[in-house]
Amino acid sequence: MNDQVIDRPTSLAQRVIDWMDERYELRSLLDAMLHVYVPREAKTFYLGGITLFLFFMQASSGILLTLYYQPTPDTAYNSVLFITSDVSFGWLIRSVHAWGANLMIVACVLHLLRVFFQGAYKRPREITWVLGVFLLFITLGFGFTGYLLPWDQRAFWATTVGTESAGAVPVIGDFLLNFIRGGATVSDVTLTRFFGIHTLVLPVSLAAVLLVHIVLIHQHGLANPKKPAGQVKPDEEPGIPFFPHYILDEAIAWYIVLAVLVILASLFPAGLEAKANPLETPAHIKPEWYFLSLYQFLKLVPRTVGVLTPVAAAPLLILLPFLDRNPEVAPAKRPRMIAAGVLLLLAITILTVWGHFS
Amino acid sequence: MFARVLEKLMKQRVTWIAAFVVIAIIVPGGFAKAFSAAPPSPEQGATEVMPPSPGLTSPDLAPLSQGPLARSPDESPNNCFKCHANLPGPHGGIASKWDASVHGRAGIACADCHGGNPETDEMILAMSPEAGFIGVPPRRDIPALCGGCHSDVERMRQFNIPTDQLPKYQESVHGVKLAQGDIRVAICTDCHGSHDVLKASDPNAAVSPYNVPYLCAKCHSDEALMEPYGLPTDQLDIYEKSVHGEALLGRKDIRAPSCASCHGSHAAKPPTSDEVVNVCGKCHTATQKLYEESLHARIGDAAPKCWTCHGTHDIIKPSEDNFLHPEPLVDQPCGECHVDDTTFRMEAARFESPEDRRCDTCHHPTSWVMTQIKAMKNALVEAQEAYQAAEDAIQDAAARGMIVNDAEVLLTEAHTSIIRARAVVHTTKLTRVTELTDDAKEAAIKARDLADTKLADNLFRRRAMVVVIGIIAINIVGLIALKYQLNRHSEGS
Repeated sequence: MNDQVIDRPTSLAQRVIDWMDERYELRSLLDAMLHVYVPREAKTFYLGGITLFLFFMQASSGILLTLYYQPTPDTAYNSVLFITSDVSFGWLIRSVHAWGANLMIVACVLHLLRVFFQGAYKRPREITWVLGVFLLFITLGFGFTGYLLPWDQRAFWATTVGTESAGAVPVIGDFLLNFIRGGATVSDVTLTRFFGIHTLVLPVSLAAVLLVHIVLIHQHGLANPKKPAGQVKPDEEPGIPFFPHYILDEAIAWYIVLAVLVILASLFPAGLEAKANPLETPAHIKPEWYFLSLYQFLKLVPRTVGVLTPVAAAPLLILLPFLDRNPEVAPAKRPRMIAAGVLLLLAITILTVWGHFS
Repeated sequence: MFARVLEKLMKQRVTWIAAFVVIAIIVPGGFAKAFSAAPPSPEQGATEVMPPSPGLTSPDLAPLSQGPLARSPDESPNNCFKCHANLPGPHGGIASKWDASVHGRAGIACADCHGGNPETDEMILAMSPEAGFIGVPPRRDIPALCGGCHSDVERMRQFNIPTDQLPKYQESVHGVKLAQGDIRVAICTDCHGSHDVLKASDPNAAVSPYNVPYLCAKCHSDEALMEPYGLPTDQLDIYEKSVHGEALLGRKDIRAPSCASCHGSHAAKPPTSDEVVNVCGKCHTATQKLYEESLHARIGDAAPKCWTCHGTHDIIKPSEDNFLHPEPLVDQPCGECHVDDTTFRMEAARFESPEDRRCDTCHHPTSWVMTQIKAMKNALVEAQEAYQAAEDAIQDAAARGMIVNDAEVLLTEAHTSIIRARAVVHTTKLTRVTELTDDAKEAAIKARDLADTKLADNLFRRRAMVVVIGIIAINIVGLIALKYQLNRHSEGS
C-alpha cells in the first residue's frame, strides 16, 4: 500500500491563523483568554457583559452620528434635525444611541449593585471595583455631555441647570463653573468642549479603563458569591467553560438587549424640542432621570451641602473595598453593609421619583 | 383732687390723642372723611348736591402753597407728620401711607393740600384757620387743588408727567357733573387715593392697568350709586369674560385694554358710535385700515362699526359663526333697516344681543351681498377645516415620536393666512378673502401630506421592528439549541 503521507488541504482561515500563530503565538493568547472556567456558583446576570455590549453599540452608533453632526450652535440643531428626518435610518441610529445611553447607565448601576450585594469587590478584586466605579462615572459623564449636543431647549436648559450646581462648590465654585462652561453661560464654547469631551476624551478614557478592568476580571476569574476568595479551593468546583458555554449565554443576553433597544427606538424614537433659545426659559427644567435624585436632593438641602455631599460620597464609593474590612461575602454575614446599601438605594429611588413628580 | 388728676392726664400721650379727636370732629368737614377714598353714598350725596361750583375753574383754588412745606428736614420741621406718625389707628395710618406715597417721596407734604403751619409743634396753632388750615378739602374743590400742581408745567417737568389732566377732567362726564354740583361723581382721590397716591406704573396702585377694571367697578358696579344715572352695573362681570378681560385680568397681558383704554381716564366718557373705529383702531391698527377700505366705512352714520359686530364690553373671540344667524331671518319689515327706499338707519338696540350681531341682521337673505357673505364664510370654514385636519395629523405623528418641525412650519403659514383672511373680512371684499383662504388651504394640505408621510413612515418602522425582532428571536432560539447541544455533548463526554 502506499504509505506515503498525504498533505491534507487546509482552509484559508486555518492557513491565516497558522501564519499569524507562527509569528505572534496567537493560539496561546486565545487559549489563555478563552479556555478558563466560570464558577457554577457565580450569578452575574450577564450585567457586565451587557454594559460592554451597550458600549459597543454606543461607540458604533456614535461614530455614525458624527458623520453628520456639526458641533456649533448655528448648525448643531439643524444637523440633528437632518439626521432624524432626512438621513436614511438616521432616526434609528440616533434613537438607538439615545436609548442605548439610558440602558448603559441602567446596566452599569445594576452591575455595580450585583457586585456590591455579592461582596465581589473584596480582596483580591479591590482595583477591579475601583476601576468599575470610574467606568460608571465616565458613563454618567457621557450622559451629561451628550445631552447638550442636540442643542434644543431641553438640552440647553438642562445643561444650564446641571452646570449651575458646580458653582456652589466652595472656594473653586466660580472657577469650576467657568471651566465647565467655558464662560459665564452655556454657549458655543460649552458645546464645542462638550462635543470634544463626549467624542474623544471620554471614549478613550473609558476604553483604557475598561481594558484594564477586563484584564483584571480575567486574572481573578468570577467571584464566588457564597465563599470569600481565600476559602475557595482551586479544584473544588469544575466550573463552566467560559468558551463556548458562558459566551453563548452572554450572546443570548446581548440579543435580548438588542431586541429591547430596537423596540424602544422604534416605538419611542428620540425627539427634538425647539432650538435652544437662551432668552426663553422653559417652565419646567429637569435633568435626565439619572441625575434626578441629585437634583431633588439639591432642592431639599442648602446648595453647598447638596453639592458637597456627592463630592464627598464619591471617594467613599471608590474606596469601599478598602473601607469594608469584613472578609465575608454572603449578605447574611454582613448585615450592616447590606442595610446601608439598601437604605442608600431606597433614598436614591425615592428622590428620583420625587424629583420626577415635583 | 380733680386738678391733680387732670395734670397727670395732661402728661400722658393719650390725652393728646383724645384732644386731637375732639378737635378733628369740631373742625369743619372732619378728618375722618379724608380717610375714605370712596365717594359718598347716594343718600349722602343726594343731600349734599351742591350748586355749580365756581371754584372748579376759579384761580382761588390754586394750591395752598407754592412749594413743599412740611418735609424738608434740613430747613423746616414736619410737625404734622411727627404728630400723626405717633397716633394710633387711621390718624397715624395716614402718616405712614403718605410717607410711602409718591408725594411723600417727592416732598409734597400735608400743608400743601390741607394748609396749616407745620413748623410749630403747637397743635392748636398748626391747625388753626389763621395758619390757613382747611382740614379736608371739599370734594368739589379737589380737582382744582390737585390741578394746581399737576397743571404746572414747570413743576411737573422733572417728573415727565402730562399737565392736561385738569382740562381733560373738566371735559369728562365726571368733571361736567361735578361742575354741575354733583359731588357723587369720581374725583382725583377716588381713583388715585389721597394720602397713599402711587405711580400708575406701580402694580399696587389702584390705577395700575391690572387694577383699573376693579377700580372703576367700585362705583360702576354699585347699583345704588348708579341708579340715579340709569347706568348698568354689570360691566365688570361682562368685561371679565370678554377676550380683553381674560387677557388683562386672566393672563396679565398688559397690552389688553382696561376701561381707561377706551373710555379715557381723566377724560372718561363713553366713545360715541362714530368715534368707536378710532378708539378700537388705537390697538387694532391694521384692522382699522382694512375697515376703512370697506363699503361699510363709506356709508356714514348708518354704517356698522366695530361694536355692531363685536359688541362693547362683551367682546368674544370672533368665529365664522358671526356671519349668519343659525336659522335664516325671514319676514323682516323694511322699516327695520330703511327709513325710506334709499336711506339706511342703524339702531344700537338691534345689536344688543350677541346673537344678533350678524351680517343677516342687516343684509337681506336673497340679496347679492348675501351671496358674497356666504362665499366669504364658506371660504373661511374650508380653510379652517383644512387647517384642523392638518393639525390633527401632525399631532398624531408627533404623539408617535415623529419629528414634525417641517409640517409645523407649514401649519403656521396656514394659520397666519387664516388670521389675515379673517382680518380682511373687514374690507367686505370677497376676492381678497379667498386669496388668503386659498393660501391657507394650500399650506394646510401640504402640512397634512407631510404628516401623513410621517405616519406612513412610522407604520413602516413598526412593521420593520416586528421583522427585526423575529430575526433576533430566531437567532436566540438557534443559540439556545446550540447551548442544549453543547450541554448534551459535555454530559456525554
